[in-house]
Amino acid sequence: MTEFLQQTVSGLTTGLVYAALALAIALVFQGTGTLNFAQGEFATLAAFVSFALSSAGLSWWLIVPVLVVLSFVFGAGVERLLVRPVEGSGPLALLTVTAALLLGTNAVTALIWGTDVRSMPSPFGDSVYRLGPLTFTAQALGGGALVVLAMLLCGLVFRFTPLGLRLRAVADNPDSAKLLGISTGVMLAVGWGIAAAVGAIAGLVAAPTLGLSPELMTNPLLLALAAATLGGFSSRLGAVVGGLLIGVLSNLASRYVPGIGGDLQLVVPFAVIFLVLLIRPQGLFGRASTVRA
Amino acid sequence: MSALLEVTGLTAAYGAVRVLHGIDLTVGENEIVAVLGANGAGKTTLLRALSGTVKAGGGVSFAGRSLAGTSAARIARGGLGHVPQGRGTFTGLTVEENIRLGIVSRPAATKGQADGDLDRIYGTFPVLQEMRRRPAGALSGGQQQMLALARALLARPRLLLIDEPSLGLAPLTSADMFSVLARLREEWSLSVLLAEQNARASLKVADRGVVLARGRVVAAAPAAELAADAGLRAAYLGESPDGLTEVAP
Repeated sequence: MTEFLQQTVSGLTTGLVYAALALAIALVFQGTGTLNFAQGEFATLAAFVSFALSSAGLSWWLIVPVLVVLSFVFGAGVERLLVRPVEGSGPLALLTVTAALLLGTNAVTALIWGTDVRSMPSPFGDSVYRLGPLTFTAQALGGGALVVLAMLLCGLVFRFTPLGLRLRAVADNPDSAKLLGISTGVMLAVGWGIAAAVGAIAGLVAAPTLGLSPELMTNPLLLALAAATLGGFSSRLGAVVGGLLIGVLSNLASRYVPGIGGDLQLVVPFAVIFLVLLIRPQGLFGRASTVRA
Repeated sequence: MSALLEVTGLTAAYGAVRVLHGIDLTVGENEIVAVLGANGAGKTTLLRALSGTVKAGGGVSFAGRSLAGTSAARIARGGLGHVPQGRGTFTGLTVEENIRLGIVSRPAATKGQADGDLDRIYGTFPVLQEMRRRPAGALSGGQQQMLALARALLARPRLLLIDEPSLGLAPLTSADMFSVLARLREEWSLSVLLAEQNARASLKVADRGVVLARGRVVAAAPAAELAADAGLRAAYLGESPDGLTEVAP
């Protein structure tokens, strides 16, 4: 039983990273209507920047807010300069742009920092805590808390502020939003900015555990896409829950299902998703259209 | 004094298809003008051209300023509201959130009156208060029309464009809608440009009427005069179903 709990906790810890990245992907999808394949690379870039800042001697208390602001500006800038010009050209053009961004960002990261895997020190130290029979590393606790905080803040902004209301209005019905004087362009850029900031936190938290390299977020990106599919792209909460589920499921499967082990553990969540999509194509939390004629 | 809205030689096209061929039109301060005409006459396109959601040529001046080249969002912020055909509700948001969107979109000078205005809206449309926690997409057609109107009013426009508010509504609901429209001007001190196929009901509400046919103004007169015009009735009040008969102004 203890081991089961320990495995679940460990699955939740990795699941939080997927959850944050899935949230970022869902935010962009709701606003712009496209998958941002480069969302993981943005997070990797953010992790490298935080590594550089930390190496330069900055305190983590400073790095986190600086990283959030930089990422916001970066995400909004990418939307404005690279995505907006092809917006009218259809979903395939947008997908192509984000795929190009994936390759481009990856190449730039590799060019600056090299392709070797570096070990990044945990911002939270190396202590280990015990709660009854369970052990927690400081990295797991602190990283988890940071990701949860970022997702909560994001949720609060969307749920309770006029800015969040405008963002959701643009995602729901851009034409009507314009008629209320809302600048849809500004809101889309803000959406990309928030997504990049949430993703940056995911990258920062993932790096000490997974090792810092340009490939840091390659697997997490796939799992985050799966998480968003599982939870429903139209639901921010669904993306988060999907991420946690996938983290836990793949961890438990590799431990308890004979023959799966570490290499095949990725197969499990995708099998689950396949089943979910057969039964609920809109995802667990997604809305099928509720519009009355 | 010049009119609140002055339209001269307005043209609009979808691709190569010209829909409006030089519309002239004015709406005065606190005036209700009905735009009448059959399906395809260009009513919806006219309203879209005015709110900047369809590209247009010609001159539009609103509150003394030219709207040429102004984005839809900026036109809306300048006090020109638009309740589009098909209502344009934010179906994934709750009724209350739709209403709050109207409030956050109002000019800064009217922010202080938001609570009073909201009470007035709930007084006029009690059903919206009852349903405020529901997703707007779950409302009936009539309720969504009320919601769209409420949201637009709460943004406190000086001129409100309303496109076919009675479309697809049951006769009783439609009658409710027109009785609300009749009271709008007194309660919200605004001007209205109302596009409607239901000429009889809209001419009761309006001061003046403008009749469109195939993208041109074919008649413009005080509402009572238009309502009494037998030739117009033949063409636009349903007695001639093709609605294509041109009527001399």
